[in-house]
Amino acid sequence: MHEFLAQLANGVELGAIYALIALGYTLVYGILELINFAHGDVYTFGSFVALGIFVGLRAAGVLHGAGLILGIAAALIAAIIASALLNAGIERLAYRRLRKAPRLAPLITAIGVSFMLENLIELWQGSAPVPFPNVIPNPQLHIGALEVGVQQIVVVALAIVTMVTLHFFVQRSKLGKAMRAVAQDRDAASLVGINVDRTIAITFLIAGALAGVAGFVGGVSFGSAWFLNGFGAGLRAFTAAVLGGIGNIAGAMLGGFLIGMLESFSTWLIGGQWSNVAVFSVLILVLVFRPSGLLGETLPEKV
Amino acid sequence: MKVLELAGVGKRFGALTALSNVTLDVEEGAIFGIIGPNGAGKSTLFNLLTAIYRWDEGSISIGGLSIAGLSTQRIARLGVSRTFQNLRLFGNASALANVMVGEHVLLEANVLDSLLNTGRERRERTEAEKRARELLRFVGVSGVEEQFARNLSYGTQRRLEIARALAARPRLLLLDEPAAGLNSSEKHELVSLIRAIRDGGTTVLLIEHDMGLVMNLCERIAVLDYGEKIAEGEPREIREHPRVIEAYLGAPA
Amino acid sequence: MIYTYAFVAIAACVAIERFHNRRAKATIVLILAAFLAIAPRFYGNDAVFSVLADAAVYVMLALGLNIVVGFAGLLDLGYAAFFAIGAYTYGMLASPQFGLHLPFWVLLFLAAALAALFGALLGAPTLRLHGDYLAIVTLGFGEIVPQIFQNLTKYTGGPNGIAALDVPTFFGHSFGASVMPYYYIALVGIAAALWISRNLRESRLGRAWMAIREDELAAKHAGIDVLRSKLAAFAIGASFSGIGGVLFAAKLALVSPDLFGFQVSVLIVSMLVLGGMGNIVGVVVGSLLLTIVNSALLPQINSLVDATFHTTVDLSNLHFLIYGAILVGIMLFRPEGLLPNRERRAELHHAGEAAGDA
Repeated sequence: MHEFLAQLANGVELGAIYALIALGYTLVYGILELINFAHGDVYTFGSFVALGIFVGLRAAGVLHGAGLILGIAAALIAAIIASALLNAGIERLAYRRLRKAPRLAPLITAIGVSFMLENLIELWQGSAPVPFPNVIPNPQLHIGALEVGVQQIVVVALAIVTMVTLHFFVQRSKLGKAMRAVAQDRDAASLVGINVDRTIAITFLIAGALAGVAGFVGGVSFGSAWFLNGFGAGLRAFTAAVLGGIGNIAGAMLGGFLIGMLESFSTWLIGGQWSNVAVFSVLILVLVFRPSGLLGETLPEKV
Repeated sequence: MKVLELAGVGKRFGALTALSNVTLDVEEGAIFGIIGPNGAGKSTLFNLLTAIYRWDEGSISIGGLSIAGLSTQRIARLGVSRTFQNLRLFGNASALANVMVGEHVLLEANVLDSLLNTGRERRERTEAEKRARELLRFVGVSGVEEQFARNLSYGTQRRLEIARALAARPRLLLLDEPAAGLNSSEKHELVSLIRAIRDGGTTVLLIEHDMGLVMNLCERIAVLDYGEKIAEGEPREIREHPRVIEAYLGAPA
Repeated sequence: MIYTYAFVAIAACVAIERFHNRRAKATIVLILAAFLAIAPRFYGNDAVFSVLADAAVYVMLALGLNIVVGFAGLLDLGYAAFFAIGAYTYGMLASPQFGLHLPFWVLLFLAAALAALFGALLGAPTLRLHGDYLAIVTLGFGEIVPQIFQNLTKYTGGPNGIAALDVPTFFGHSFGASVMPYYYIALVGIAAALWISRNLRESRLGRAWMAIREDELAAKHAGIDVLRSKLAAFAIGASFSGIGGVLFAAKLALVSPDLFGFQVSVLIVSMLVLGGMGNIVGVVVGSLLLTIVNSALLPQINSLVDATFHTTVDLSNLHFLIYGAILVGIMLFRPEGLLPNRERRAELHHAGEAAGDA
């Protein structure tokens, strides 16, 4: 029971991170029908930016008391801004030119961007995982048989707040409505005066910002950043987005938590070396048997 | 002998009824026209015939054989070919290759023949290519064999698509607005072409908006309105049918 | 020296693409074949032929993937899985692992058949998926296969893999330590792969693939069994990779799960993209160029840099940057690849209209 609860907490924490990344896939896929393969590496980049801020501030000796709170905020905001800009930059430089290209071209380009980012981050930060400075205190709480760290709670809370904000943003705001319009029918959206290029750019900014939050959260919760983190986390998050129903924000959250649980429990029950197999088997099974995902709708083919 | 029989066919998309209780027989060797205002269900009907959609009620048979549950490609093998309202050519392949794809169902070379370029594969290819050239001549577009379909003029593309459909030697040819976008001399040629196709032994079922062309070309016409068949008969009868006049002109003004 | 061979081969390929006369093409092919067969007796050493034999294996893999991606238009991001299946077939059945020492020549065919079988098994449920989804499913498969080989330690040697694989023999003559037999086998393999690729492209099946690639719905209306045609592409493409895997494992005398990751799949996709997807000769050029860059040019530049600046940089780190830059650069600026055939060039430059109503 004790172990079960611990794995549950662990799964929720992992799930929160995957859900944040999955939202980025879902937003971009919803609007462009592109799997932004480089999205995972944007997440990695966010981790390293947060890490860099922590290292810098610790060296400056300001990470205590109120300084610690400000430092955490600074690292989070820096990760958000850096990842958002990187993601929007990728869209501007690489994907935008390919809007009318044949269907395989954007995905191949995205894979190329991903490889370049991974290699550049490796050249910048080395090929070994870099530990996060252990600056954030993590007192343990005991709730019945459940033992969780405050960090874990904060991580999950932060993720949930971000996701709820996003949900209302997309549903209620003018920009969110423009995003949905472009996702539905780009030509019609542009006819009613929506600036399609700008809307897509903003979608990438938001997706990147979410990856930045995830990068911060992931770095803190795993305690390290690694140039290849984004590959595995990205694929899991993409699986989560597909599982929930791609293009569907609530689905991405649901999928994220489910994949987090799957990873956590498969590691516990059958061993960590099988968790990749488990996750990708889910991906294949979902795509084969219910490609629209748990919360998605099936659309008939157009002639 | 009836090539196509529809009995009480209905199709709904959610709350929308696209077709309801449509009954229709097409005799072998006919040129049969289906007309009706936009949204009357004409294209839906074609899409049922080639299994793009499944119908909800009734039955459809081709050559006396029910096509319920058959896939698009199985129906093609039964001898049904079609063209599309918005052309669907293989744009980056030569005109000749487009027509040769149309011959697919007539050829017997299997994967092994294709891998090893066996005698059967080579023999069939030579024959297929010869027939494709003849077909292009038949529809009146010889001289463009090696050009990419996408680079051909619109009128030529329309004819090429018909050639591709004919390449399978269908018993029933479905033409989805074949005259759309053609000028009057092209329409004139199209009429002779469709007659020649019928004279070659293929039954033709066509959807068309150009009333003059349909009246001139078709021996029998069915009229759809809001998914229902409101009239069927010879051109003369259709022209004078009160419900048809109403459907096209709206309520009497 | 290695550049001489690569240059001759690439120049011949370019010439073949430029000439339209069939007899001229055939002559060039014959001269090139004769050169590649005879020149090694006079010119070159084991190190050179080792690289060339590896290059030849990659050419085979790229030609196989070209059938899937270039001909049928299906993006397979897990192609290395079939390479792994081929390699492990040899590793498990021609080694002390189970004490089975099946002959190399039998295993070549067995591996081709097994890889094709797995290609079909993966394809049967997934080939209904469109475009990007299929790509991701194949990626997932490509991640699962090496992981399974790594986890089933009892059968596969786990993370360390299987070493001391049998040295192949040819009518009783052992290949010994020489790399030349692998070089020659790979050459024959390329010749066969080229012949099959050309046959397929011109065949009934090849036309069906073209139709599916261009407009799947129209292909169905022409009576093409789309699923079966795609399955054939998957199985045939996979079988090339299976044969490549056996050659690779036998030459290295070792298999281990880390040799077949996603990077290998992307490497082969990069070769295709560089040479021009769908273009048989272009793909050969693309894979030769990339292999030479990887295994000759980069190490040489590396030692030059080290010698000049007295450093110890590791340029092998740049591989992925190079693959990535190739994928991005070619897709953005020359989507038809270095040596396009005219069909693909047209397709990639004006696909907007055709894709618009899909």
